[in-house]
Amino acid sequence: MVELTTRSPGGVTLPVVEAPSPEDALPKRVTSHASGGRDVWSEPMEDAPGDPEAVVVELLHEVLDPELPISLVDLGLIYGVEFEAGRVRVDLTFTATACPCMEFIREDVRDRLMREYWVDAVEIREVWNPPWTRERITRRGREQLRTMGVGV
Amino acid sequence: MSGVEPGLPEMDDAVRTAFRRLLLSLADSKRILGIRYSDWLLGAPSIEAGIAASSMAQDEWGHARLLYASLKDFGDDPVALEHDRQAAEYASMEALDAPFDDWARVIAGAVVVDGALAVALRAVAEGGYEPIEGRISKMLGEEAFHRSLAEAWFRRLAGSEEGARRLKGAVEEWLAPTLRVLAPDDQGHRALVAAGLTGSAAELRARFAERISPLLELLSVDMPEPLGLDDWDEGRGRGPGHPAEEAVERARGDLNRALFVE
Repeated sequence: MVELTTRSPGGVTLPVVEAPSPEDALPKRVTSHASGGRDVWSEPMEDAPGDPEAVVVELLHEVLDPELPISLVDLGLIYGVEFEAGRVRVDLTFTATACPCMEFIREDVRDRLMREYWVDAVEIREVWNPPWTRERITRRGREQLRTMGVGV
Repeated sequence: MSGVEPGLPEMDDAVRTAFRRLLLSLADSKRILGIRYSDWLLGAPSIEAGIAASSMAQDEWGHARLLYASLKDFGDDPVALEHDRQAAEYASMEALDAPFDDWARVIAGAVVVDGALAVALRAVAEGGYEPIEGRISKMLGEEAFHRSLAEAWFRRLAGSEEGARRLKGAVEEWLAPTLRVLAPDDQGHRALVAAGLTGSAAELRARFAERISPLLELLSVDMPEPLGLDDWDEGRGRGPGHPAEEAVERARGDLNRALFVE
């Protein structure tokens, strides 16, 4: 690592602070208990599903965008789901390259899926192709937004 | 191809080095441009203009993040690129080395620097390097808003004598060095052109001219010749100098190193 001198705005030299190792860094979690529609999430399933990929998509219908109360699926952010031997991979995009809610969305997806005993691990893959545009919002999403007075 | 380290893109060594230089130059320019925009979040001529500057700063940092992440495929550690480099290692454009002193320079920077970055990105997307193509189309979608804001403000400022004078000072200072970074026509750039990964110098210059000439005409400024390569820093793909330390300290997040979360 390059030696860095950290200066306060007044020009006083402060002790060099190395970036902490991942274990010492701030706690990873950012989500408040209210985000992602947690209050409407269904109870974990009792039995493992026959078609886990379809069920994962259903579960993601319960995960709401942090800013608009429609699901990530209806907002058009979910590009694909794969399930193999307890591991789920979710391909998702964001509405903007610097979306301020990226960490919330990742945590909400992970937390909802990890509630299920048949899910051992969740991998979230960020994809940008094709880019998200408003056209990706589903018909149902549009109707939900319209009832809230948001024009799309 | 033989001799390529496993995991690296299958390109000739010279092509890979040049492509890495190009991506790093785009990433660094966007990182520093974001800082220059962010300085005007408050204190712009109107609240609306300041909010627009804030959104543009946000976009630039989003683009920088994606570009740094794409350098992982070239053997780089994106976290080290973002947090551990000295100012002299930054490859950002010369026009961004000092803060934008007034709103006219913000707008001139949005037209000249942001405009050149958009031209360069489009050429890379057309070059068909698949891992980055899709990311760039998202970036260019966001850049369309920067362009319409910048052009509207440019026309507005050009309509007053003082506005035109200040715009002219900035574009005359920045056009030649920016053209050189956009289309250096050095060995590295020519290797990329031969590999089909970006456009030729003539092509890139023509596209840039097409994009901004209508605005330059308002100031009676002609597109200059790019700077020559006498003092060219081939490694970074820019001229001598570097962004001011203060900007690099903010880019690296020096004051928050103990609170690092990535």
